Amino acid sequence: MHKALWVAKTGLEAQDIALANISNNMANASTTGYKKERAVFQDLIYQVQRQPGAQSTQNTQLPSGLQLGTGVRTVGTQKMFTQGDLNMTEQPLDMAINGRGFFQVLMPDGNISYTRDGTFHLNANGEIVTASGYLLEPNIQVPEQTKTITVGTDGIVTAVTANDNIPFEIGQIDVVDFVNPAGLQAIGSNLYLETAASGQPQVGVPSLDGFGAIIQGALETSNVTIVEEMVDMISTQRAYEMNSKVVSTADQMLGFINQNL
Amino acid sequence: MDRALYIAMTGAKNNMMAQTSHSNNLANASTTGFRADWAQARAMPVYGEHYPTRAYSMTERPATDFNDGPLNETGNALDVAVAGDGFLSVLDAQGNEAYTRRGDLAVTPLGELINGAGQPVMGNGGPIVLPPYEKLDIGDDGTISIRPAGAGPNEMLVIDALKIVNPDLQNFEKGTDGLFRPREGDEVLEADPALRVVSGFVEGSNVNAVAELTNILAINRQYEMQIKMMKAADDVSQAAEQLLRLN
Repeated sequence: MHKALWVAKTGLEAQDIALANISNNMANASTTGYKKERAVFQDLIYQVQRQPGAQSTQNTQLPSGLQLGTGVRTVGTQKMFTQGDLNMTEQPLDMAINGRGFFQVLMPDGNISYTRDGTFHLNANGEIVTASGYLLEPNIQVPEQTKTITVGTDGIVTAVTANDNIPFEIGQIDVVDFVNPAGLQAIGSNLYLETAASGQPQVGVPSLDGFGAIIQGALETSNVTIVEEMVDMISTQRAYEMNSKVVSTADQMLGFINQNL
Repeated sequence: MDRALYIAMTGAKNNMMAQTSHSNNLANASTTGFRADWAQARAMPVYGEHYPTRAYSMTERPATDFNDGPLNETGNALDVAVAGDGFLSVLDAQGNEAYTRRGDLAVTPLGELINGAGQPVMGNGGPIVLPPYEKLDIGDDGTISIRPAGAGPNEMLVIDALKIVNPDLQNFEKGTDGLFRPREGDEVLEADPALRVVSGFVEGSNVNAVAELTNILAINRQYEMQIKMMKAADDVSQAAEQLLRLN
């Protein structure tokens, strides 16, 4: 059949994935700690129809050959770990990491997942949990009748209770970093899992040794820029339309030969 | 059978190949650093001991469009776009050096610098490997400097520099894997220190979607004319057959 038909089909598929990706980014424009994704495209292999430099006769050579491309392929999506803006909320259990690093979260199945979303709460036992109710790792128990909780930039959590006006340390929040954060697997709920591509987690103290500092009373907003996504959406839509035009043109060509011969 | 039929057939067949080439360009309208391919048709007369009445058409890819693509700002320190002339140097699947405009770089867990297609990026002395870092900066000339994890802002380290080459575009062609290599002569090119990159941007595809679509429509019409010629050849032989029918 007509090769252009299949080539244009790969183009349609790629633009389809790009649009799905853009809409996911836009839908998460207000998600705390969300990192935008971009679709990564690559051209498919080329087929040599006629080798350049082949002999056209015994004494003459073809000056240029014909290599036909076979379309485009989506290699994957890549998370962009640029820093989002800090939104000051003044809530004592809202935390943002300014710089590199992730909070550790204990999943119900016993695994550790990682997040940039520092919207923490207390559960019925006084433990610090995420918005989904998963325990922060290492977990911190807030004593009863606590008046204020203070989190230092180095992750040390101190509390002042009603009985005792002297602040005392109740725990330490660690952050972890990865060589290639873009290789982490996003599992939804603002959580990431370690993969072979991300490398091993390196646990550290916030604001020391290159780890980001913890800012209490602030949340990291999504790093999606709506204007950028809108412009991407326009170009994706037009590219999609043009590829579908190729499909219909290729179809017309085949239809024409069927009708006329 | 009439020769006109076969000549029209090669015309239609080569139109379809040109169509494929243009649609491949359109399909890659969003591929980072993609360079569009030209397609042209050439008359190939049949030589021999007769009058050269037959000239078949032949579609070929004479070259690749080396014009610059648009720069898309990403703000990602690992994204680089070559400003103006020049190509980044990477390793292909066989481990040989090849060249690309693709600059959406990433770091593997082992610290190797790779591009969006997973090809290791070359520095001045081989593939670039980065130690753990807190902040990375790629300078205008491709110099990669990092602030190692835990170091202060006054301890920037220069690790390596991206190898950027300035090939002779007349002698530079796209291979079947989409990477560029010199057609003849030395396979490994020397780095050119005069070339510039901009970090925080990726270069988009240089496909002109309007031109490609117009070409596709023009080829479509040309193809229809070839079919008309085939139909005409068919009509002529039908008329001859009717005229010469015995009963």
